[in-house]
Amino acid sequence: MQLVNRGEGRLFLSPLVIFLLLFLGFPAIVNLVYSISTVTFETLRAPELSGYGNYLDVLSDRYFWQASWFSLRFGIITALAECLIGLFLAIFLNPLLGKRPYLMAPLMLPLMVAPAMVGLMYRLVLHEFAGPVPYYLWMWFGDSPAFLDADNAFRTLVVIETLQWTPFAFLLFHTAYSAIPSDVREAAALDGAGGWTLLTKIELPLIKPTLIIAFFIRFIDGFRVFDNIYALTGAGAGGSTTSLSIYIYQAFFKQGAIGKAVAASVVLFIASLVVLYALTALGSRRKEKT
Amino acid sequence: MTRTLRWIVFAIAAIAMNFPVIVTLITSFKSAREISSNAGLWINAPTLSNYLSVLTDTTRFNIWLYLFNSTMAALIGTLLAMALAFPAAYAIARSETGRRVLFPMVVNLRAVPLIIFAIPLYMMYQWLGLLDTRIGLGLILTIVNIPLALVIFVNAIADVPVELDEAAKVDGASTLETLRRVIWPVVRPAMPTTFIFGFITAWNEFLFGLMLTTSKAVPMTVGASFFFAASGGGVNWGTASAVMIIGALPPAVIGLMMYKQIFGSMTAGAVKG
Amino acid sequence: MIKKTTIMALAGLLAGTAMPGIANATVTVLGWPGGSEEAALRAATDVYNETAREDDKVELIFFSRDGFFDKLQADLAAGSDAFDINLIAAYSIGRYAPYMEPIDLGDDAETVFGKAVLETMQYEGRQYGVPTDLSLHFMYYRTDLLDALLGDADARAEYSKIAEEYLGKPMEPKPADEWTWDDWAATALYFTKSINRASPVRYGTVLQMKNLLFNMMVFQSLPRSYGADWRDAEGNITIDSEGYRKGLELYKTLYDAGATPKDSLSYEYAETNAAFAAGQVATALQWNAAAGELTDPEKTPAVAEVTGVVAPPAGPNGRADHIHGLGLGLNKNAKNKEGALRFLQWLATEDAALLYAENGGSPALMPDVVAKIADDRPDLVDLGNFASQYGYVMDGGTSANALSIYEVQAREFTGYWSGQQSLDEALANTEAEMRDLLNP
Repeated sequence: MQLVNRGEGRLFLSPLVIFLLLFLGFPAIVNLVYSISTVTFETLRAPELSGYGNYLDVLSDRYFWQASWFSLRFGIITALAECLIGLFLAIFLNPLLGKRPYLMAPLMLPLMVAPAMVGLMYRLVLHEFAGPVPYYLWMWFGDSPAFLDADNAFRTLVVIETLQWTPFAFLLFHTAYSAIPSDVREAAALDGAGGWTLLTKIELPLIKPTLIIAFFIRFIDGFRVFDNIYALTGAGAGGSTTSLSIYIYQAFFKQGAIGKAVAASVVLFIASLVVLYALTALGSRRKEKT
Repeated sequence: MTRTLRWIVFAIAAIAMNFPVIVTLITSFKSAREISSNAGLWINAPTLSNYLSVLTDTTRFNIWLYLFNSTMAALIGTLLAMALAFPAAYAIARSETGRRVLFPMVVNLRAVPLIIFAIPLYMMYQWLGLLDTRIGLGLILTIVNIPLALVIFVNAIADVPVELDEAAKVDGASTLETLRRVIWPVVRPAMPTTFIFGFITAWNEFLFGLMLTTSKAVPMTVGASFFFAASGGGVNWGTASAVMIIGALPPAVIGLMMYKQIFGSMTAGAVKG
Repeated sequence: MIKKTTIMALAGLLAGTAMPGIANATVTVLGWPGGSEEAALRAATDVYNETAREDDKVELIFFSRDGFFDKLQADLAAGSDAFDINLIAAYSIGRYAPYMEPIDLGDDAETVFGKAVLETMQYEGRQYGVPTDLSLHFMYYRTDLLDALLGDADARAEYSKIAEEYLGKPMEPKPADEWTWDDWAATALYFTKSINRASPVRYGTVLQMKNLLFNMMVFQSLPRSYGADWRDAEGNITIDSEGYRKGLELYKTLYDAGATPKDSLSYEYAETNAAFAAGQVATALQWNAAAGELTDPEKTPAVAEVTGVVAPPAGPNGRADHIHGLGLGLNKNAKNKEGALRFLQWLATEDAALLYAENGGSPALMPDVVAKIADDRPDLVDLGNFASQYGYVMDGGTSANALSIYEVQAREFTGYWSGQQSLDEALANTEAEMRDLLNP
């Protein structure tokens, strides 16, 4: 049974589509032109078409690939860490939070602070002489590691990102987990299911869609990370903490290489579209099977 | 025993995740003199001077205007995004229309640094007279928020058993009525979550706020960095901390108000389900 | 019902924008926010407005300090007329010149600022701004530590031993104003606890090594005093030179030896100040802007009384101090060019410059002018002296792509310091990109 016919579907989509076309249509066209032009801030209104040179520049730039690799690694590792810790907290703390919902407040708080500000504050927190973390490490252990040198910066940034955004995953999981109807659990208990069986056989499958969504969102956000890294280490020694967003931002504003920056974004857009499209296709095929 | 363990885990999580917030709060009560000489987590001579300089010096730093601008722009950016995404999400979840092309395209917007649109948008806004307006900023934040709202809504609607729709259809309900009577109640719990995430994202957005405003519509994040640069300049840590605490208060208050909503509606949804 | 009222209230709030806006000013000036430049500009503007004609009154706007130049770039490129006068910096003057109007500051300007300082605001021979503030670098050092070292025979012997081990030659400690870069390096090594247990401080120096273009400005003076430049008279890129090799290697030696804090690769202005203020480092090459804070006992109780200031150390070609100016110039799309020009010309007068200096600004003034406020602002005397004796701008330092060149250097040089590439690779990469950026 077709629940929504073609016409109605279009009708429901139209507000969104019209809005996006109005606001991004013109910029998207301008950007596509820029991406195949020689253009600087001086020639914004008169870009000179120059073919695919910008794309070749991007694809042959080792810093583009370095940034892509950084973003990919950063996105996967932080998304995994955030989801695992978030899931553990959501399940393990559920009995506590169910009775005292106000305990949610401190767990949600990190989300409220602008990531750029968090990055800025970590410059103080990790400072060898003015920051509390090295201060106590020196006091207790007589030494403190380099948090942001070329070897450790990546790890430190992962920890910072994870600490701030685990609450995001946690909140989604907590909502989904608490929404499991109590009769489902009771029925399982009557069937003699123990805690572990209940968790792995009943509860986790029930919240699986939320797990996937949370991982997906967190991966995208980690992949395009900008503010906190930019404030804390910038592009990093030798470009070692340059995420793709930082790469594009720097090409755009610091180098004034507008065509190159836009071309990099188009490459990124197409690459992630292909991945997404493949995932959607995979998902719908699996659905058809079952 | 397990109970104690749960409390311990809770305490560790709360402290670790909030560590920068705690340090910021403490720093905001320290004088410049103390910040340079005491790195610990206690305060020798607490002072309110950081807050006073932020809140009272309105000729230099109009914090009330920034807060107002951010609130307005973030509200537009969140509510409009939700209003646009909800019907679209239904069409995407219940028909082929849009699932193949539109959905991935829109979701993809979140992965691309939107700053590449800054220059063309700037020129467009200049032409439309939207530069330095709260509405103009709100409309951009709408674009920032649409992908997340769409993902959450599509996911939520997909959770509604198709049988419910079908039953309503058999009863002769129109699609619009089905949307209102069958889908809405079940998807409602997702609303506060979407709102909070959207509001926070909009509130904390920096680059568009910087690029598209000059004086009248400057949001809090841009105003906040009035006193310090993320790179290339001195940082007055005390003032920075005070600004940060004040800037995080509105989303925190709204978030806490909404979380009651979340759990209120969730229990309601659970009973119905 | 409740929903309806909420929506109506929202609509009301949106429509009725009854918030304090900016009054319709006749000359709008976009300044550099948050620091002493802002305070000085505000004070000068207040005085100007007392006597200015009604349609010449000046209104100031300041947007965020973070991303300021990116925003300004977008505004100028799009032809914004939101301000008549805007901030310009010496290193970005080539980039902004196309959107700005050359100005005539009047004959007095040269007697107030001097030719060299006026030139920091020139591009292709034309004046684009009033030089309001000048930035260069001071060598800050701990007088108490150095005095103790100079006066102790055992310490001098230890110093010599350390110098031989790390720098390859025995050396004698010297007073700070006689330092060569090697003397400074040896002093830094001597005062590093991991090298010399007796050192009362943890590190001998604090280097700003973050991948940030401003840090390259701090670094430049070391190669420069060994004769380095960006290009020669024929336009060849000369970055692969003895001077740059010496400078880059010396920084790496100090970093690898642990003479600078471990996280130096993420340090910039603020971190350097915090490290020095904590009393745990002996020397720091840092911007002159830090002088106020580091010598103020109220803000820096630990070391303010024992902080000395000298020019950067000497190399075979003498001393060099990288200067760049901030100034105010005329937007090509200004709505009120005549009014704006009158304000700029006023700013270039002696009275205005002195007023600006008295209120915390840092203009570089001619010796006879600065003498009039020497009691209030002794640091301005140093600033003027160092600028006139040691100040330099690299060949190409005001070109359209100067900022991009600093960017490239920051990335490649930090790549070498952090051990991700060799010195040869870093210099080769820099040279290749500089060739594109300087000679398009």
